[in-house]
Amino acid sequence: MAEAVAKAKKQKAPRNLKPESMNKKVKLTAADHVFNICVNIFMILTLIVIFIPLWSTFALSFRSNTYLHSQFRGMFEVWTWVPDAYKALLGNAGFIDAFISSFMILIGGVVCALILTIPMAYVLSVHTLPGRKWINILIMIPYVFNVGMIPAYLLVKGIGLIGHIPAVFLPGAISTYNCIIMKQFFEGIPNDLKESARIDGCNEIQILFKIMLPLSKAIIMTVGLFYAVSFWNDFFHAMLYLSGTPVKIFGWNMIDSNYPLPILLRNILMASGMNEYVEVNAFGNAPVQAIKAASVFMSAIPMIIAYPFIQKYFTKGTLAGAVKG
Amino acid sequence: MKKLLTALFVVLACVTLFFGCKKDNASSSTAAPAASTAAASSSSSSSASSSSKSAKLTPISVLYGASVTEAGALPSDWPGYDVLKNELGLDVTFTALPSSANDQAQRIQAMGAADNLPDIFQVDRNVLTNLVRQGLVAEVDDMYAMMPHRTEMLYDENSIAHTTINGHSYGLASPGSIAGNEGLLIRKDWLDNLGLDVPTTLDELYDVMVAFTKDDPDGNGRNDTYGYGAYIETNTSDKGYPGSRLLPILGAFGVEGIWDMTEENAGLNIYKPEFYDAIAFIKKMHDEGIIDPNWLSYGKDDFRAAWKQGRFGIMKEQNAAYASESNYAPFDKNFPDGEWIIIDAPIGPNGDQSIGPWDMSYRIYAISQNAVDEGKTEAITKFLEWMSSDEGYMLAGFGEEGVNYVLDENGLPVAGDLGDMSYTGSKGQVYTQLRNMVFYNGDMELASRYPTYTTESGKEMSALKALREMQALTWTPQVGVSTLPTPSADVQRYYEQSLAEFITGGRALTPENWQAFIDQFNRIGGKAWNDQGVQWMKDNNLLTK
Amino acid sequence: MKKTSQPVVTTTKSGLAVSQEAAAVYKARNKAKLGAEIKRHAGVYLLAIIPVAYYIVFKYVPIWNAQIAFKDFMARQGVLGSAWVGLANFKEFFNSFYFWSLIRNTVMYSVGKLLLSLPLSIILAIAIYECTRPILRKIVQTLAYLPHFLSWVIMYGILLALLAPGDGVVNDVIKAIRGTNVGFDFLTSTKAFPWVVLFSDAWKEMGWSAIIFIAALMGIDGSLFEAAMVEGANSWQRVWYITLPAIRPVIVTVLILKLGTILDAGFNQIFMLYSAPVYSVADIIDTWVYRSGLLEFKFGLATAVGLFKGVFGMLLVFLSNFISKKVSETGIF
Repeated sequence: MAEAVAKAKKQKAPRNLKPESMNKKVKLTAADHVFNICVNIFMILTLIVIFIPLWSTFALSFRSNTYLHSQFRGMFEVWTWVPDAYKALLGNAGFIDAFISSFMILIGGVVCALILTIPMAYVLSVHTLPGRKWINILIMIPYVFNVGMIPAYLLVKGIGLIGHIPAVFLPGAISTYNCIIMKQFFEGIPNDLKESARIDGCNEIQILFKIMLPLSKAIIMTVGLFYAVSFWNDFFHAMLYLSGTPVKIFGWNMIDSNYPLPILLRNILMASGMNEYVEVNAFGNAPVQAIKAASVFMSAIPMIIAYPFIQKYFTKGTLAGAVKG
Repeated sequence: MKKLLTALFVVLACVTLFFGCKKDNASSSTAAPAASTAAASSSSSSSASSSSKSAKLTPISVLYGASVTEAGALPSDWPGYDVLKNELGLDVTFTALPSSANDQAQRIQAMGAADNLPDIFQVDRNVLTNLVRQGLVAEVDDMYAMMPHRTEMLYDENSIAHTTINGHSYGLASPGSIAGNEGLLIRKDWLDNLGLDVPTTLDELYDVMVAFTKDDPDGNGRNDTYGYGAYIETNTSDKGYPGSRLLPILGAFGVEGIWDMTEENAGLNIYKPEFYDAIAFIKKMHDEGIIDPNWLSYGKDDFRAAWKQGRFGIMKEQNAAYASESNYAPFDKNFPDGEWIIIDAPIGPNGDQSIGPWDMSYRIYAISQNAVDEGKTEAITKFLEWMSSDEGYMLAGFGEEGVNYVLDENGLPVAGDLGDMSYTGSKGQVYTQLRNMVFYNGDMELASRYPTYTTESGKEMSALKALREMQALTWTPQVGVSTLPTPSADVQRYYEQSLAEFITGGRALTPENWQAFIDQFNRIGGKAWNDQGVQWMKDNNLLTK
Repeated sequence: MKKTSQPVVTTTKSGLAVSQEAAAVYKARNKAKLGAEIKRHAGVYLLAIIPVAYYIVFKYVPIWNAQIAFKDFMARQGVLGSAWVGLANFKEFFNSFYFWSLIRNTVMYSVGKLLLSLPLSIILAIAIYECTRPILRKIVQTLAYLPHFLSWVIMYGILLALLAPGDGVVNDVIKAIRGTNVGFDFLTSTKAFPWVVLFSDAWKEMGWSAIIFIAALMGIDGSLFEAAMVEGANSWQRVWYITLPAIRPVIVTVLILKLGTILDAGFNQIFMLYSAPVYSVADIIDTWVYRSGLLEFKFGLATAVGLFKGVFGMLLVFLSNFISKKVSETGIF
């Protein structure tokens, strides 16, 4: 079994996502050629459809205050671009604090979420477990009954978390959706692996760590990414539970405000709508539209950087290798 | 393997510990509601150095509307903290409200539902009414006398009436934006290019809109301009659908705003036959394409970006949004020869004329019942009174002298050459986050907020001058309109949706359809809303003439 | 356990077989054996302790608090102290002038999104999986998930730039073709608005939803493809007979889970995009609750609607799970 894992690791990145064996030269029929053309056309169309609006938003983030033409035209006139919006955002007094606070929520959230989700998903994937049905029902009821803001707020207040960063991620630290998805993948791992481990004298916890986790990197990464993004983008809970008070560690003022990035961005996005004193422009020369667009890219940067690393786990037929070995 | 196991158990232990701690907290916080707030704020009580001092400090939590929401929070080195601590014995925690009105309502009502409101919080009138019904808000009738200086500066009969519900004042209402700060603006250079006169009647205005749309007023050879520009900006008191930006048009038919507050015609404007004519006129503008066709989809920012790009030649705009330096500069750069002038509302077929309803706008600071129950009344009034003292006023409004502002020869605070740290600079403006708690639209504020400046193209501009011109236009006084009852969400949707459908043609605008609309409106609660409103006007002496 | 010599792709089938087998075994065993069975799984129960405790504290305490749906919730009295009002909150919702229109719109959008976005994301996942041009694949894979990060505020800006009647790109094209100066207002037309909602959602979430299917595709055993090739299957047949069945358990799971929240039609999107002219086709349950309940301190009403949606979702989950088990032998439990 360990060999299998090692073998899986050794596999080189294949030409396409399929396991290496697929890339052997075989004679392609006409239908295969049509298939490849269709796939490529679909990919190119997707690329165009996704790229153009993204690019126009990107162009908008570099728009200068005196650019007269439409957003469409701005996409092409790269020479008119100015980085005013990014300068203004980076100059915002709250930006660094918000970033740090967001990271604390992200890390706290993802760690808690995985600690809770992985065992739960594993438990649900053990089909012989007496009482499994009840656990299934236990997790499905809260999934469909979304009782809303106030019942949850009363709980968070009851356990004294209001104003503290865990209040943002703890109530959502396990998502039934992700849990069931992960369970589905665990079920895909062949039973004989588990059985042979049991025969070797492994207990359930050992099986989880020794067999399931190494074989489920792709899904753990995926679910981790789902959690990470949901915590990173969570505006609502932060708005509800946090107060923008300083975060202190042993009396040392780590950050002035625990409002995370989504709150700052929301404030930016909504600002001109609320500000009575429109004579003050917090962003100097940059137009509001550019600020809005730039804020998107600024806030997505960590996720944009992280994604290729996660993608790495998507190009290996980890499981396939394991089964053969 | 063993490592992993131990790690798991350590985490397990931590989590159990964590749950354990939280249960402790739970019991303590239910025992003393204030404890959780104090713990949450934790500003100084947890730090070892000040623990001895903090024993004597009275904690006060404040939820305020930041002046520049998109900038950072009030910095922890704001000098006011020291004064509050050392001289007044107060440990004040400031929390900024979220930036949109809906988010604010959600946040405050959630805090209310958990009986966890801060001691002082800014709140709009609708939400305040809900909280008062729940018994969460303290009466402040006696507090005015406890802070004579602040009361003299900020509160008067009207402001007290604004927060009076069932005979008691539930909140301190200080002046918000200045009344009458909007006006109708028209592109003088476009008029000159086309050889047109300034329109005074609705018909003339219509002709100018047509000319601005069809006759290439900017002479760029392209058919890319429109007569009128607007976006949808509504509320449930003075800015009814189709919204504030079209009020001068509605005013020409004598149906500006949602309500008529005159003695003879008191009630909803929608019942008047002129309202039908006004909607028909707006529909004509929409169908003829002489209003920027994006007006139904625009947000405020899009609208403001659009006039700076010269898309339309007539609009209703706020004084500072039009004339202050940072807002006017892009327009000036784009159109060095461009010139807006402020004109009065057009006169309608029956001689009616109005820019819109005129009402004071207020920011309400309410005091939670819990704060009063805990005996904090005196501390709160002491705090607010200090905020309005000369020292507090300057610290909250402009920051620290020499750091955030300097005084000019007239004794007015100016940015001088303080750069980023000045009260208008990117780093310094966060020191003025509290200014909405103290500003009263006094001359000093106006002069420092609206300085006169010269544009790049050599025009002399002043938002203050624009304000005075706008205030002198023809307005309809409707003092207290914002205290009138609001419709249920269904009635409001029916009202707005029907009017919108009539304008866009989703529903044919015929007298029969209109009557059907009014009947249905009455049936689902519109009539009740009208009657409650009229009753309220009578009870509170709000009727005019 | 002997059946598991089957390849991975059919594991869920084999997993199910195991569970059926186990069920049969249970029946044969007596209670003493159940005790032994529980003992044998002691480790699994140990793993379940923390998550189950978490569920009870963080999910069931709020559900218990949801009794305010049957109460006239008064903050100062708390959840327990407020007076019971029976079904008054539910009645307020059912008696709304717009009740049926809300239900219709909500179902229209959630079903529409399911029908449009789910197949699209599966196709995208397969296309990424099958694409033989590595550069194209990498670019698409990296770009496709980015729209997920755009908030609806920004999305509205993009849609305005594309669709605005005055200067939107699409309208520029329409005007050029028609030779008129009058554009079509997609965002305020009751005919076009639902399509704008559906397609903007598909555009934004397609790549993101595809991630889960890509992860599932990673688990397919290569030997199956080899076998297929030996038998002379072409690419279309391969996708139809091997790839799709292999990820069917994941597709079914996602589908059933989405059915559980069928009455959530995307509050953030609708709230950002809708306006008065299109209320009749845009207002959904959640936007109504927001305006009538959450902004008006009617938390009993808001919670009651949440419960109503939950009952509906629960029924659909059990029903679809049952059907799916009958038809395809896969389900979520």
